[in-house]
Amino acid sequence: MRSFFDYIPGNSFLHRLNPLSRIFLSFMISIACFSSKSHLFLLLMILLNLVLAALAGILNRGMELLKNLSKFSVFIFVLQVLFVRRGEVLLEMPFNIIITEDGISTAIIIVLRLIGATMPLALMLSITQMNDLSNILVVKLKIPYKYAFAFTTALRFIPIFASEMSAIIEAQVSRGVQLDTKNIFKKTRLILPLCLPLLITSMKKIEGSAISAEIRGFYLRTGESCYRKYFINWNDVGVLLFAVILFISAVFSNNIKL
Amino acid sequence: MIRLQNVCFNYDRDRTLTDISFHINKGEFAAIIGANGAGKSTLCRLLNGLLKPSSGSVEINGLDTGHTKSSVLARQIGFLFQNPDRQICRNTVAEEILFGLELLYKDREFIAERLEKVLSMFGFSAEDNPFNLSRGERQRLALASLIAVEPEILILDEPTTGLDYKECIEIMEIVREMNKKGTTVIMVCHDMEVVLDYAERVLVLSGGKLIADGETRSVFCMNDVLEQASLIPPQMASLAGRLGSGFEDVFTVEEMTELILEKSNEKRRVEV
Amino acid sequence: MIKISNLTFRYKDGRKNALDNINLSINKGDFLGITGTSGAGKTSLTYAINGVIPHHYNGDYYGSVRIEGEDTFDTSPSALSLKIGSVFQDIDTQLVSSVVEDEILYGLENFSVPAVEIEQRISSALEAVGISSLRYRSIESLSGGQKQKVALAAILALRPKILLLDEPTSELDPESSVQFYRILRELNENHGITIIVVEQKIMLLSEFAKNILVMDTGKIVINGSVREVIDRSSLLEEIGINCPRVTSLSNRLKEEGVYTGSVCINVEEAEKMVRSIIDD
Ligand SMILES: Nc1ncnc2c1ncn2[C@@H]1O[C@H](COP(=O)(O)OP(=O)(O)O)[C@@H](O)[C@H]1O
Ligand SMILES: Nc1ncnc2c1ncn2[C@@H]1O[C@H](COP(=O)(O)OP(=O)(O)O)[C@@H](O)[C@H]1O
Ligand SMILES: [Mg+2]
Ligand SMILES: [Mg+2]
Repeated sequence: MRSFFDYIPGNSFLHRLNPLSRIFLSFMISIACFSSKSHLFLLLMILLNLVLAALAGILNRGMELLKNLSKFSVFIFVLQVLFVRRGEVLLEMPFNIIITEDGISTAIIIVLRLIGATMPLALMLSITQMNDLSNILVVKLKIPYKYAFAFTTALRFIPIFASEMSAIIEAQVSRGVQLDTKNIFKKTRLILPLCLPLLITSMKKIEGSAISAEIRGFYLRTGESCYRKYFINWNDVGVLLFAVILFISAVFSNNIKL
Repeated sequence: MIRLQNVCFNYDRDRTLTDISFHINKGEFAAIIGANGAGKSTLCRLLNGLLKPSSGSVEINGLDTGHTKSSVLARQIGFLFQNPDRQICRNTVAEEILFGLELLYKDREFIAERLEKVLSMFGFSAEDNPFNLSRGERQRLALASLIAVEPEILILDEPTTGLDYKECIEIMEIVREMNKKGTTVIMVCHDMEVVLDYAERVLVLSGGKLIADGETRSVFCMNDVLEQASLIPPQMASLAGRLGSGFEDVFTVEEMTELILEKSNEKRRVEV
Repeated sequence: MIKISNLTFRYKDGRKNALDNINLSINKGDFLGITGTSGAGKTSLTYAINGVIPHHYNGDYYGSVRIEGEDTFDTSPSALSLKIGSVFQDIDTQLVSSVVEDEILYGLENFSVPAVEIEQRISSALEAVGISSLRYRSIESLSGGQKQKVALAAILALRPKILLLDEPTSELDPESSVQFYRILRELNENHGITIIVVEQKIMLLSEFAKNILVMDTGKIVINGSVREVIDRSSLLEEIGINCPRVTSLSNRLKEEGVYTGSVCINVEEAEKMVRSIIDD
């Protein structure tokens, strides 16, 4: 099973950037989304994410992400709308449920932010190799290798655990556990006991992973071990500037009334 | 009992299974064989409704799996996976077996009786912790909790991978026992000696296509099929093949010994 | 090259000794197959050789394991990995990268291999295993067999003198397993790499290994050339290890008194045997 940030090989402009610039750009887009309260700006950011995905040749992944995040957002949106009780009341319903203009407006912002801020990170991981990521963390950001490795290993394990979980679910469904039910509460109650097999397999895998890193010289590694050199060139400078400009315009977007 | 008609299946864009049709009757013991990635596991998942065909139809006892929930099919089909750890989710052997039973039956007395029967059949002690058992014993436990509900069909996807020979034979003997009592068995297996010893019928998959379907021995005689599916025939069959004429239809050590003795006696008689 | 003396090990929460008074020496250029029922202690023995026991697993440890004179007790597994390359059974936990090239690079970087040498090491390792075309592929997109080969290439790039493999073909179909063993044989014969491989399928060992070691309940039961080991088929069957069918055939024919030669270990030999009995 594939996850939303498995590496997709390629040779685009974005693939060739210094990983550090890529990380910086994606974080700046995220931060910009959190700094802005403008609907228009947030929509532009989502569009920018899709443009970047297209540039990297992974528009499919971008659209897939957008689709899945949107599904999740519906849930957040409803919660948020019901939660906010300030502002002009648009609709009154039984059980003291009210829907207000403020509620709708903040819900939209939160959803757009969520999408706009999550996408760049997942897209960045899709075009960044694990080793580059940990090398950058170690060489440029001076994070100890152990932690960098633990971080990338955790990322790598997410799809492995996900596919393990779906294999467990398959095994249980085929013995009659009604996990194919539509009722969310029933489903949750049925899934909980399955955490035991998942936990046991996960523990085994994590232990195995630690051993195999160890017997391939994990503890021999030094700060200078890194083979790839990561140069900064004009493209990177351009991207860094672009990222800073994005952030500044995010701040200013709050002052423009639409 | 099991009927596939022009079944095609694709996960993403690529065709995983192409135009598969066959029919398996009650009480048959069939093996599905083929190289890694040939589509064997995919086919098994289609048979118990975990996957639905992209086109064509899969019928189990007249039920179209496309319109039946997997959990409903579970009553009729027991599915043993390669890795028992995905199935076992309770802390004692008895609870694990009960878990499966209680999902499908309500009658307390009946459940208790089945539990007792299965425990004695497999020789488990009820209070053992499954995770202290060896891999082979856990696989037997997984099989036990499937058999407890007495399904009409057993599907086994590489049930003996990772087990040693003794454990493998233990599992296979239980499966054979169930088959004799009328359970239909469909098994994926890479060990051709096991296939030869246990299965009556063989379905050969290669690149998602069903390239042969027939009686075990006759399939092991089809050299072109074996080659296309990158299968290594059982040792006695390849020996017989090398020895050429006079050795057709020899598959077991017993048959080979008998034939050789016969031929050497003949030779001696001629010499005399 | 490897010398194990009076090695006994019991895992911290183990009920019995996983390894029980093991004495074994393995010479340069050997191709040793280790077999036995599950729980016999095969994996534990490989752990004792590459230092995972006692450095990663706690327990009662007696005796010594020496790799070229160096005691594993005093050397970390990472340092031992300069001499011994290990490939484990579970491929998901073995691979650490997202791209094949990176996977090979990982160990090389850890070992601080000089940059000028790296390119050559990567390409020759990929070539030795026959997967040069997969170099830039993402690991997620590979099949189990291909991943197994990547794991082997990643180890080979480190140029170990000893290759230690634990059931490397358990997920592979018979044809791919044979291919994998052909690669091992090539490494053993043409590159002089000592190979130690744990394998359930005795048919593969009888075809490819030079020596076989049979374990049962933590002890070494038989250790000898393939022929010596296969010859004791009744003992093997008692332990629960099946012999190749051609071996059973030659034994049956011996019982019947029509054959007096040595035991058969593969189909070629069986063919010769049968022809010698029935032909003029
Ligand atoms: N969940 C999945 N998603 C996408 N492709 C899959 C999935 N499972 C299997 N495949 C692909 O389908 C093909 C058949 O796989 P499978 O049925 O597992 O083969 P087998 O069991 O014969 O080894 C393979 O090419 C495999 O890569
Ligand atoms: N981590 C562990 N903790 C406790 N006991 C273990 C552990 N790993 C293995 N054992 C026990 O040690 C014995 C040998 O196991 P192992 O070396 O894995 O055998 P094999 O590889 O031959 O199947 C078994 O009885 C097993 O239960
Ligand atoms: Mg399969
Ligand atoms: Mg083992």
